[in-house]
Amino acid sequence: MSFLQPLLLAALPLAALPIIIHLINQRRFQTIDWGAMRFLFEATRMSRGYARIRQWLILLFRVLAITALVIAVSRPLASGWVGLMGGGRADTTLVLIDRSPSMMQQGTGTVSSKIETAVSQLSQALATLGSSRLVVIDSAAREPQELSSPEMLAQSPAATATSASADLPALLQAAHDYIKSNRTGQTDIWICSDLRANDWDAESGRWKSLRDSFLEFKQGVRFHLLAYPELDPENVAIEVTNVRRQKVGDSGVLLVSLRLSRTGGDGAKRRLPVSFEIDGARSEIPVDLATKEIEIKDHPIPLESDRVRGWGRVSIPADRNSADDEFYFVFDEPPPRRTIIVADQEQEVRPLTLAAEISPDPAAQSVVEVIQPSQLSTIDWSDVALLLWHSPLPEAEAATEVEAYIERGGRVMFFPPAAPSAAKFAGLSWESWVDSPEPLRVQSWRGDQDLWARAQSGAALPVGELLIQRHCQLAGEFTALATLAGGDPLLARAPTPRGGIYFCATTCSPRDSSLATNGVALYVAVQRALMAGTAELVNTSQLVAGHADVGERAEWTQVAGPEILLSNEFSYQAGVYAVGERTIALNRDPAEERAGVLSDSRLKELFRGLDFHRVDDQAGSVRSLAQEIWRLSLAGMLTAMVLEAALCLPKRRLETGEPA
Amino acid sequence: MLSERRSRSFIDPQVLSRLAAVPLCARRPMQGSVSGRHTSPHRGASVEFAEYRKYVPGDDLRRLDWRAHGRTDRFYVKEFQADTNLRCCVVLDTSGSMGFGSGGVTKIAYAKRIAGAISYLAAQQGDAVGLACVAERMVTDIPPRRNPAHLSVLFDLLERAKPEGETQLVPLLHQLAETIRQRALIVVISDFFADPAQVRECFEHLRFRKHDVAAFHLLDPLELGFTFQRPMRFIDLEGGPAIFAEPNDIADRYHRALHRYLETLRKAVVETAVDYHRVHLDEDYEPVLMRFLVGRTRVGGVR
Repeated sequence: MSFLQPLLLAALPLAALPIIIHLINQRRFQTIDWGAMRFLFEATRMSRGYARIRQWLILLFRVLAITALVIAVSRPLASGWVGLMGGGRADTTLVLIDRSPSMMQQGTGTVSSKIETAVSQLSQALATLGSSRLVVIDSAAREPQELSSPEMLAQSPAATATSASADLPALLQAAHDYIKSNRTGQTDIWICSDLRANDWDAESGRWKSLRDSFLEFKQGVRFHLLAYPELDPENVAIEVTNVRRQKVGDSGVLLVSLRLSRTGGDGAKRRLPVSFEIDGARSEIPVDLATKEIEIKDHPIPLESDRVRGWGRVSIPADRNSADDEFYFVFDEPPPRRTIIVADQEQEVRPLTLAAEISPDPAAQSVVEVIQPSQLSTIDWSDVALLLWHSPLPEAEAATEVEAYIERGGRVMFFPPAAPSAAKFAGLSWESWVDSPEPLRVQSWRGDQDLWARAQSGAALPVGELLIQRHCQLAGEFTALATLAGGDPLLARAPTPRGGIYFCATTCSPRDSSLATNGVALYVAVQRALMAGTAELVNTSQLVAGHADVGERAEWTQVAGPEILLSNEFSYQAGVYAVGERTIALNRDPAEERAGVLSDSRLKELFRGLDFHRVDDQAGSVRSLAQEIWRLSLAGMLTAMVLEAALCLPKRRLETGEPA
Repeated sequence: MLSERRSRSFIDPQVLSRLAAVPLCARRPMQGSVSGRHTSPHRGASVEFAEYRKYVPGDDLRRLDWRAHGRTDRFYVKEFQADTNLRCCVVLDTSGSMGFGSGGVTKIAYAKRIAGAISYLAAQQGDAVGLACVAERMVTDIPPRRNPAHLSVLFDLLERAKPEGETQLVPLLHQLAETIRQRALIVVISDFFADPAQVRECFEHLRFRKHDVAAFHLLDPLELGFTFQRPMRFIDLEGGPAIFAEPNDIADRYHRALHRYLETLRKAVVETAVDYHRVHLDEDYEPVLMRFLVGRTRVGGVR
């Protein structure tokens, strides 16, 4: 139990008053000369069980009455927040709200979502508890917003879910920065979340530094987690995995691949109508969902012949979590497959040029541009799908530009220069050339994934037929995709969060290898890298909410999406937006529905050493988090007094008879 | 009778003069030494006809009923009941517990008034009065006598009686039952704080000896009510161990014990035909005595 006026609990020793009075009374006895001692002796010999219990009960009820009175004036709270006010009233209360789409899940038999319930509960609880300063930090903007009163919390934009996944470590970091910069006193941090593993990112190394930095605060920081871990096993989510426009005769067809997934795994077979909306035109197909997940590949939707770009939306009937019941997409003409080859001599890279130029899809346009390293600054990186680098590794500004390109999702493949330098890129550098007296063969290669993976039929690529006369050794941390006899890598991939960085340890020159003459392996590698890069270019229009860093906020115009939406929330909410000349579709992170709930033990581990309390609630719950129960205490006091009075009532005296 | 003697604290002449209007009667025949106003088990020369008896040689011819002879031609002797006086023995409990009194008057003082009044009334109507003061032993024992000087001695002894010592009422009553000659009025004035079963045996013993037993059971209102509010230390007036008690804690059990004791005693006195009077000290002794005298009048009749 917690109290709003805990200082008044100092009066609790008053509860000992009845006992003290009783003891004093015992000492204030009178002495009397008495004749009828035989009755006293007889009375003392009788069983005195009830009488003694009665005396103790009377004392107990008196003590309870005073205790209840003291508790009543201390304004007790009925709540699951153990120790809520244990350290006194908080100077600053920070409310961290997880606005991830999963917080839109409604409770059983109610229309209130998790986030609405959480905000309502917190609003009530904070109104009861009070705080000098109330600050809200939501997971979308991560900007501290000071509120004048807890009632404002429910009206704040932070009280609605977005399509952007939450980043709890970043949210706590924002809270930490606020506490540090504002030098707050005793601080309560309230976290409302549904504990989705992808939002909490429990494996992140940031948690340790966060824990340590919070422990450094001397003023005391208490964490209260209002958790809504309940999952809806019947929830179905829809996600568009690929959209392509294909020309069929005079008209076009939009091929939409989508995936339906159910939270609760295998269950009863359900038939769901999937609605497609292309620029406002609707169509619908029924889909039988019998397993946990079902994927529909290239569902064709006819397009008008002159329509080459547009947007669309797929949706299923609303279930308890409406956030994952629709998905937006945009389509456009496929971008040209543009390859930039950086080489000192154009002649040397002729095989590469051919491999990049010859597109497997006759409809796709391939453009290859060979430039000198010095011309790098003239490149417009926005539509580059693949960069082939046949020159010393980039340094300084060139390296920065290439890194930015890779960060955007681009692919780059480095080939060793004739004279390797000490330059490093992505932690890797070329060492020295190795001339083999006998041509080396590829001893092993990754046939399960990446550039030299098997063909779709399952047939292996003829990588083993390659003959390598010269290769350049590679230093640094890499993943070998193909290894030569002797252990040196032929094709390696550098670790990178986005994009792809490949290092090919030999060149296409006939004196170095048979890459050009036995061109299948080279062609496949180049085309696959090109395809991946092109896909990234397409994906620049298909973004995850919260991660879209496109243009100025003022340039954004909503094309489709939620009707009532603040313009500064555009980048967090699913929908279709026009940004300048581009049209982008924002959606939730598909990892959101696939992620499970963070385990209790893992959660405890995250807050180890910190003052942390957790209470589980349910969406739509009407049970208050903190409710004053002084009336209950007063009722308890009255009950104790009535019982005490009843016990004090003199018993009916036995009739001693009239004089005979 | 009292005018020529000094006044006694326990004697109120006005009360005595009012009580004197009612005779002190015995409830059963008495064997006095002289003529009196009580029934005797023997035939005598009173005016109260008893029975006719056949004449036997040697009977006084003056007592032949000639009228009966005329009617039946047989000789009958007419017999009359004898009148006799009674021997009244007042047994006064002078144990320590008789020193208790919450309302200004102690049990011993109250007992002295009753004893004094009964002694006076008996002596006034020519009955012999004796006194036995009992505590842990027989403190005083003077046999019943009829002369007024004896009454004065008895009053002197009453005056000097003090409550002290333990109660040995039961053995001393047994002793008195044996020592007092048959057919006496024995008035026991006590608080009877003894085992009711043993008291009953005493009464049965006295009854066996054909005594007319009257008992005045003196009880203080505080003993009956036990209306204490604060913790009390009870010191035994008879020298026993003291008891510390919380009245609220012990009151109900005290009342239970008292109730059980009184019930047992009441049953004992009813079954042993004792003229029992429970007296509360807050009650005036005059009505108590009046009730005593009138009750006996109804049972024994007035001569």
